Amino acid sequence: MTDAIVADIQRASTHDGPGIRTTVFFKGCTLSCKWCHNPECIDPNPQILFYPEKCIGCKMCDKGCFSGARVVCGKSMTASQIAAEVAQDMAYYGTEGGVTFSGGEPLMQKEALSDAIDECKKLGIKCAVETSLIYYDEQIFKKLDLVMADLKIWNSETHKKYTGVGNEIIIEHFKKLDTLGVPIIARTPVIPEIEQGIDKISEFMKTLKNVICYELLPYHPLGNSKRQALGIFEPDGFSVPSTEYMEELKQYAHCNK
Amino acid sequence: MPTVTNNYTYADRLAAMRETKVRHTLEKRKQNGFTDLDDFGTVPISEGYSVEPLYNSTNGSFYGYDGMCENFCRVIDAHEPYIDPNEMLCGRWRDMLVNYRGDPHYLPDWLKKNPKTMELMKSATNQWSKRWDEQRFPYDHLKPLQAKYNIATGIDGDAHFACDYRIGFELGFGGFLEKIEKYRKINPDKKDFYDAEERTVKAIIRFVERHCEKLREMIAAEENAAVKENLETMLKTCENITYDAPKTFREVCQWTAFFNCASRIYTRDGAGFQLDGLLWPYYQNDVKAGILDDETAKFLIANLLLIDPHYYQISGVDENDVDRTNHLSYLILEAADSINIACNLTVRVHKNCDREFQRKCVYYLIKNKNAWPRFCNDKSLAEGYMRNGDIDKKTARERIAVGCNWMCVPGKEFPMNDTVKINIAKVLDESLKDMKNEENKSSARLFEIYESHLKKAIEVTAEGINLHIDHAWEVTPELVMNLMMHNTIERGEDISQCAELYTVGIDGAGLAVVADSFGAIESRIENEGLVSWETLYENLENDFADERVRAIMSSAPKYCQGGTVSDAWAQKLTDSWVAAIKAQKMPEGRKLIPGWFSWSRTIEYGSKVGATPNGRKATTPISHGANPNAHFRTDGAPTAQSNGIASVQCGYGNTAPLQIEFDPMVKADDEGIDLVLNLILGHFEQGGTLININVLDKEKILKANENPDLYPDLVVRVTGFTAYFASLSPQFRQLVVDRFLTGI
Repeated sequence: MTDAIVADIQRASTHDGPGIRTTVFFKGCTLSCKWCHNPECIDPNPQILFYPEKCIGCKMCDKGCFSGARVVCGKSMTASQIAAEVAQDMAYYGTEGGVTFSGGEPLMQKEALSDAIDECKKLGIKCAVETSLIYYDEQIFKKLDLVMADLKIWNSETHKKYTGVGNEIIIEHFKKLDTLGVPIIARTPVIPEIEQGIDKISEFMKTLKNVICYELLPYHPLGNSKRQALGIFEPDGFSVPSTEYMEELKQYAHCNK
Repeated sequence: MPTVTNNYTYADRLAAMRETKVRHTLEKRKQNGFTDLDDFGTVPISEGYSVEPLYNSTNGSFYGYDGMCENFCRVIDAHEPYIDPNEMLCGRWRDMLVNYRGDPHYLPDWLKKNPKTMELMKSATNQWSKRWDEQRFPYDHLKPLQAKYNIATGIDGDAHFACDYRIGFELGFGGFLEKIEKYRKINPDKKDFYDAEERTVKAIIRFVERHCEKLREMIAAEENAAVKENLETMLKTCENITYDAPKTFREVCQWTAFFNCASRIYTRDGAGFQLDGLLWPYYQNDVKAGILDDETAKFLIANLLLIDPHYYQISGVDENDVDRTNHLSYLILEAADSINIACNLTVRVHKNCDREFQRKCVYYLIKNKNAWPRFCNDKSLAEGYMRNGDIDKKTARERIAVGCNWMCVPGKEFPMNDTVKINIAKVLDESLKDMKNEENKSSARLFEIYESHLKKAIEVTAEGINLHIDHAWEVTPELVMNLMMHNTIERGEDISQCAELYTVGIDGAGLAVVADSFGAIESRIENEGLVSWETLYENLENDFADERVRAIMSSAPKYCQGGTVSDAWAQKLTDSWVAAIKAQKMPEGRKLIPGWFSWSRTIEYGSKVGATPNGRKATTPISHGANPNAHFRTDGAPTAQSNGIASVQCGYGNTAPLQIEFDPMVKADDEGIDLVLNLILGHFEQGGTLININVLDKEKILKANENPDLYPDLVVRVTGFTAYFASLSPQFRQLVVDRFLTGI
């Protein structure tokens, strides 16, 4: 069994897959998307987040902070500890809900992820991951009830410019994943400032038989406060798409649930 | 008087009725000031309205059969008829007896101009009003401990039990008179009782007759044929039920409206009945006879709900676990949706109940964001109640949701539910003071002292309850509700004397404050050694002058985080609470039932409690009901809250409600409905008893808090009751907003 470095566990999540879910945020990601809304999950190691507005000025930081100003992000958890926390909400999962392993990139800690999935499965909990598909692990994907994966930008150069990597490997992984028979929800975060080629992504997703939905997720600026807490004070510079823009793009989303 | 300014379709009429309701809400706020209470369905006081009460006690108040009856007659006789030609039913109430007995909780601004009332109020406080006749039944010997533990005593409480409406539907007002006459002869020594009951019924009949007279005047003056026809039908309905028992669906709705007005005027009783059960035969008969269609039935129900937000229950199972959801249950939901006002509908949930119906209930909750309906758990409530001994399943199933947090067996039980509370944060406060000078301090020792104080608090509470039950008939006999209780008219006794079931509820308030305090002591002082006892006491006394100490204590693991030291303390406190209540000896077959509920008095209760070890500052509000403290989790997870509250259920048929403010992003689509329904079913699967949910729009409630007049129709569920947000005091509005923003 391998311990996972977990940034946070959020219960009663309603935005990370169907039904009521518990989302386990793994630390570490190989992409560095400029709009990332979970920047605290990029570094694989534990970090300190600093929220100055909560500081009470006791000058005893070295003896531990209790005001919420300095928060350690990233703790080591065994698979059974993760499963125990996820199991607390079993009564609410119904037929749709369950656990979502997110991040960061959960497959960056693939042994720990695999163990956590096994432990949750033993309890009868449905498992999903949210992944960039930069990694591909057939053993893990086959165990899942759902994969939520992003294709953020169609043009590989642009993809590389904004995320640090080209998208060829991601597209390749989408095609391989599609052969496994696991339901896939494909998503694209909508960033108005970038030419993302959403029409082309949408067409591509239609060619994959196990993509049950292609969703468009409007950019939100919540990552900025966490960037500040990490000491990055410059905002990411992106803006929330207007309702009109989202309406315009709506034609490209599809769902065959 | 409202006028008809529409095309007179049902939809137009309902819209006009709703507009009138909004206008009334704003007018009432002008007349009454802010009221942190249920809306009660009152209409504004009319021009020139005044009552000259008869005070029959030398202490300046009025009591007993004669005092209550005489003043009831004066107040109801002063009520002008209320008829809105848009409606199908008539009758409203405006004023209640309690206003004239020096109770600071209920005194409206318009009555503060009355010198006699203000004279009474001078000697009344929040705790001690003139509702109880202390000259004859003093309890000064109980007051020191009642004050010490901040106990809501229940002495002088009224209503808080439930009528068996079947009695009234069978007899009608004339039948009440005949029954009184019949038993008067059998019990000649109960003349005072029967005289008072007879005068009470006759006053209600006069109230109905005044509506008939007014209707005749309006019919004569009405030129619009459709409106005239409606008024004529209203008149016929009122004439039919002035004396006789109601026979049709419309008549039974109108009869209920009149009875409820009278009952509200008397003791503001708000306990309704199983709406889809008792009205079902009338609905079926009328449909079969071709005199009722679904649209009209819905309009009548909407009209009844508008007249008075009594607590009605729908759905659930019978004593054989068979689903009793029926077509009328659906119509009731649709009716409530069509009027969409403050509405106290409770849906009884059981695994055998129609799942589609439950989905529809959740749909309306999310779609309207108006805090209705709420949900209670058939299984845990009935099984819990049966644990009180000698109570069969049929009786337990009949025990329905008819109050803020409480259930009652209609016609048979005298539970005083929701009138008796012990502030356990104050009990902790006293325990901390006691331990201060002891050498060996520990959480275990503190708990020992806490339990000894709790025992004393429960003993003195029980004494108060017994005083109330022994003498309530001489102080505030329930002359109106008695008419639909078993044994009362038959024996010539008030229901406080002759109930079949005295299962009396005592609620504890402040659970999260106490659990988190014990949890913080155990983790921060005993396990981690971060704070010493000396430092804690210094900070309790100087109200946490040292912010770091406060941060350490307040950041300790909390109740409802899941599996924490404070979660364990909450369960231990519950076990202790239940054991202490059940161990309390009561006379004459009376039994105490434990629950957790603070009502909406978290601010008032908090004002009596010093700083607590969980980092709570002195005099700030205590936690709400069985809910966790604010910021209990960063994700504010409703599931975590639900689990925690399910784990502290007291298990004897009374509730520890889950009061929850749900994600406003949830949509009224299949997915959103499933989310909320899974939360409800998950809570009940784990033994939860009652769920009050607010689905609110963040932007709207923040704007309404700044300027309540922008949204005079915005309804929130404050605790068990719903209220118009615009009617609440700024302090209370803030409480609701804070609860919403912190996710609890």
